[in-house]
Amino acid sequence: MRSIRKAATAVSAVLIAAGLLAACSTSPGQPDAGGKTAITVVSLKPGSEQSAFDAFENQVKQFEAANPDIDVTSQEYEWTGPTFTAQLAGGTLPTVFTVPFTDGKSLIERGQLADLSQYVRAFGYADKFNPTVLRSGQSADGGIFGVPTAAYGVGLHYNRTLFKQAGLDPDKPPATWDEVRSYAKQIAERTGQAGYAQMTQENTGGWMLTSLTYALGGRMQVANGDKVEATIDNPGAREALTRLREMRWQDNSMGSNFLYDWGSINQEFAAGRIGMIMAGSDIYESLVQQNNIKPADYGLAVLPLAPGGSAGLLGGGTLAAVNVKASPKQQAAAAKWIDFYYMSKFLKQDAAVLDAKTLSESKQPVGLPKLPIFDKATLDQYNQWIKPYVNVPLSQMRSFNEGIFDQELAGEPTAHTQEMYAVLDTVVQAVLTDPGANIDQLLSTADSDVQAILDRG
Amino acid sequence: MRTWVRRGGLSTLVFLLPLLVIFGVFSWLPIVRAAVMSVQQTNLVTAPKFVGLENFQSVLADPLFWTAVRNTGVFALIALVFGYPIPLVVAVLMGEVRRFRGLLSAIAYLPVVVPPVVAVLMWKFFYDARPDGVFNTILGWVGLGPYRWLQSATTAMPSLVLEATWAAAGGTVIIYLAALIGVPAELYDAADVDGASIWQKIWHVTLPQLRGVLLVTLILQIIGTSQVFLEPFLFTGGGPANSTLTVLLLIYNYAFGSSLGGDYGAATALSLMLAVFLAALSAVYFWLTRSWSTS
Amino acid sequence: MSTPTSIRPVVPAGPQTVAVEPAPRQPARWSVRWARRRADDQPPRGIVSDAERRTPSVRVALQLIHATLLALLLVIGLGPILWLVKASISTTQDTLRSPMALFPSGVDWANLATAWTRVHIDLHFANSMIIASGSWLVQLVVATTGGYALSILRPRYGPVLYWLVLSTLFVPAVVLLVPLYLTVLDPPLLGVSLINTFWAVWLPAGANAFNVLLTKRFFDNLPQEIFDAARIDGAGPYRIFWSVLLPMSRPILGVVSVFAFIAAWKDFLWPLLVLPNPDVQPLSVRLPTLARSTELDVLLAALTISALIPMVLFLVFQRTFLRSAGLSGAIKG
Repeated sequence: MRSIRKAATAVSAVLIAAGLLAACSTSPGQPDAGGKTAITVVSLKPGSEQSAFDAFENQVKQFEAANPDIDVTSQEYEWTGPTFTAQLAGGTLPTVFTVPFTDGKSLIERGQLADLSQYVRAFGYADKFNPTVLRSGQSADGGIFGVPTAAYGVGLHYNRTLFKQAGLDPDKPPATWDEVRSYAKQIAERTGQAGYAQMTQENTGGWMLTSLTYALGGRMQVANGDKVEATIDNPGAREALTRLREMRWQDNSMGSNFLYDWGSINQEFAAGRIGMIMAGSDIYESLVQQNNIKPADYGLAVLPLAPGGSAGLLGGGTLAAVNVKASPKQQAAAAKWIDFYYMSKFLKQDAAVLDAKTLSESKQPVGLPKLPIFDKATLDQYNQWIKPYVNVPLSQMRSFNEGIFDQELAGEPTAHTQEMYAVLDTVVQAVLTDPGANIDQLLSTADSDVQAILDRG
Repeated sequence: MRTWVRRGGLSTLVFLLPLLVIFGVFSWLPIVRAAVMSVQQTNLVTAPKFVGLENFQSVLADPLFWTAVRNTGVFALIALVFGYPIPLVVAVLMGEVRRFRGLLSAIAYLPVVVPPVVAVLMWKFFYDARPDGVFNTILGWVGLGPYRWLQSATTAMPSLVLEATWAAAGGTVIIYLAALIGVPAELYDAADVDGASIWQKIWHVTLPQLRGVLLVTLILQIIGTSQVFLEPFLFTGGGPANSTLTVLLLIYNYAFGSSLGGDYGAATALSLMLAVFLAALSAVYFWLTRSWSTS
Repeated sequence: MSTPTSIRPVVPAGPQTVAVEPAPRQPARWSVRWARRRADDQPPRGIVSDAERRTPSVRVALQLIHATLLALLLVIGLGPILWLVKASISTTQDTLRSPMALFPSGVDWANLATAWTRVHIDLHFANSMIIASGSWLVQLVVATTGGYALSILRPRYGPVLYWLVLSTLFVPAVVLLVPLYLTVLDPPLLGVSLINTFWAVWLPAGANAFNVLLTKRFFDNLPQEIFDAARIDGAGPYRIFWSVLLPMSRPILGVVSVFAFIAAWKDFLWPLLVLPNPDVQPLSVRLPTLARSTELDVLLAALTISALIPMVLFLVFQRTFLRSAGLSGAIKG
């Protein structure tokens, strides 16, 4: 008997220890803890500067002070396909998270986002959004499930220091794709660094190939009644790949790494080892927070668009969304957070000033060029409000700021976008790593592969 | 019931409880679930639908499937060419060392204890394709290169294998070394009496005695290399142009690669196909070790 | 099964297992045949006979071969690691421009401190330790209690159960990736997702048939008389387990421990899936993320720290490591 009692004590000790450990491990977004409504929100990208996290936590405190019944926990976050799926399936997405415009529609159709219409209407700006921008966060019947928080257009980011070293004028970024090519060559020859580099991995290759194709007058998909047709095998795409091939294999001006994703190309660019990259106009913030770029190095220009009416600038953006599994109370609290952190600064002077002040006190970038999510006048007004706090080298982004509003903005392809990008990754990688790659054949294969994905529905 | 308890039936069950719970929940249940999921269409959001063998058909129809199978085969083959004979030679040579054997085997084993992720990230830097890259610098000293390593569809896979071999060969050396010490000294004595040369002893005594271990490591290596994931995932993400896409990476991509919910049916279907292949190998392996245990 | 990425040892490698014969009177010395011989440090003889060793040509050749072997092992085995240590205290510029030069612009010790504190290698190192220790404990509990019940207590349904356990050896870990993930999301009866808790890594690690097989075989070979004697003295099954069996099992527990610890330390894919929250991620999962956002010198310092810790452990417990490796060596294909 004694031995049984001993064993029982041992077992219960183990169970207690297990219980304690289970209690220690937190699961995010536990509802309504301690009378308060608890929500988890996404903060900044992994690896960001401590001061950036500090600024974020300050904003959390401001929010909690204004909403004493809400308890906010933050979690670092970077949207990537695989992690997002795992979190989506696992139900571990925070209460508030962000997704790219391209995924909004499908997530809404599958019932994975909470309906925010009533809250956004209550905030009073539901009908002020730029309708094209809002559409990516709307269901078929017009309900708002994702709130557009930022819009970007693809821009040409360049390293002013490398421009100078190569004997180029850093205030005169290239205005045509021929100039991009010759500048890249000059940078590569005179500095030994990559003159131009391109993302190729984790669907960014397809994303950037699509951008370049748009800029050269092509489109990747055409809606044909109910059906979407893949038009990957188009002259714009062919020219895009041919240009890449010439820069890679004739000029040898693209460096030696052709397996970049979003994070790694930013890292290399910020470290001053790439002359020019094509990327969303909003990366400067992350270049500062994650990659420690020297502000003096940075330049941003509009992407050269080919002459002729069909060329367009690929644009996209970010939606803030709320986990559909959150309780109604949490959804309301989450909507308040979205309003506080992402939206109200664009519409209310005191919010804009507070936001800018908090960020600039932690030496975080304030005043980056933005594309309007409401209308241009609202954006101009916002820029006016925050003017005293602007700490980014706006003069080095003049080309973009002045040129962007004259460019024809074109939305990203809408059907199975990320899957199409994945197929195109392969095409770009093949052209950049195989001198004998057959562009026509690659495009026609990709075209039929993507068509098969589209037909599957 | 009471006699069952008195005979210790209950306490036996108490001792079996951890095994039953852990295996039940984390092994037997998922195995059953895998079989079920392979004939279902499910994205975890909508209710699963029975689709019969459709998942298997769609995997077989996927051109990437054949790419992945071919790449995995190539990986396994190059891994055999690099990783099979070299450890054997090293072990045989090391077996003849009388001093510092412990030190030598420790050095040989050292790469095995480097965490694989660290090893891959370190080698990724070694493979820097610039002329100033680590390997290109070293090869430049003897007038070779610069090579493109991971940046070309032809050299990417061998580069992956090279790192994998570096990381794993030490373990194989230690297995061989253990087996070499097990070769009965009398056999060598007898060979000496017959006047056999060193080469003849290696050929007629050592290698035949190692036959069993050689076969086992061969099968183990094939089982291991057909599940290669870490290297392609971290080195190249399957690129350039799918040249390093392996079966396991494809399974991962099916299940977790799209941001909009994975194709879990296809993922489990492909897993099961791989499982059948590996189970056959395991059976051979099990049978081999069994037959030696009894002989 | 262990966890889905680790290529688990399927069955102990052939001939050695035959020799697993415990020596209860000297519990500390586990006598795998070759290990015992190795303990004498000198094998009886190798391929080359003493007479041949005395021949000048053979002696010179042997010495030459040994020197080459040592040099090659040093360069290939140790070289990359030494380079990593060097790079961890070099500046980024030096590492990029002249990777093989020794500190052209001085030593930069700050990298290591930056990696430890700002990049939070300390946190992720602690997570790795917690994960490895928990997996180790779970595996040990399952293997010893299960092995004891199957080998010593022998219930009537034992053989069937043992067969069920062994049959999981034939199912490669990868098959379970998705269903196991779903199980961890929504474990039966518990009602709480284990995602983002260490339990998600600890518990599946326990379902390792190889461990059960090892311990059961070891227990099978223990002399039955000892248990009979203990029973006659009035010891119950719990007491026999705790006071008789476990003290005799230290050698096998050492082997299982090494396997468990190494596997947990190395595992990548499984923790990547079940620990999406960066605060609980182990080093192996965190480092690739950091690689994309950390300056090269700091990243290399972080890699160095992550590599040196297990290497130091290895050098301290070298014997156990190498013995386990010789036993199966199948930790990684």
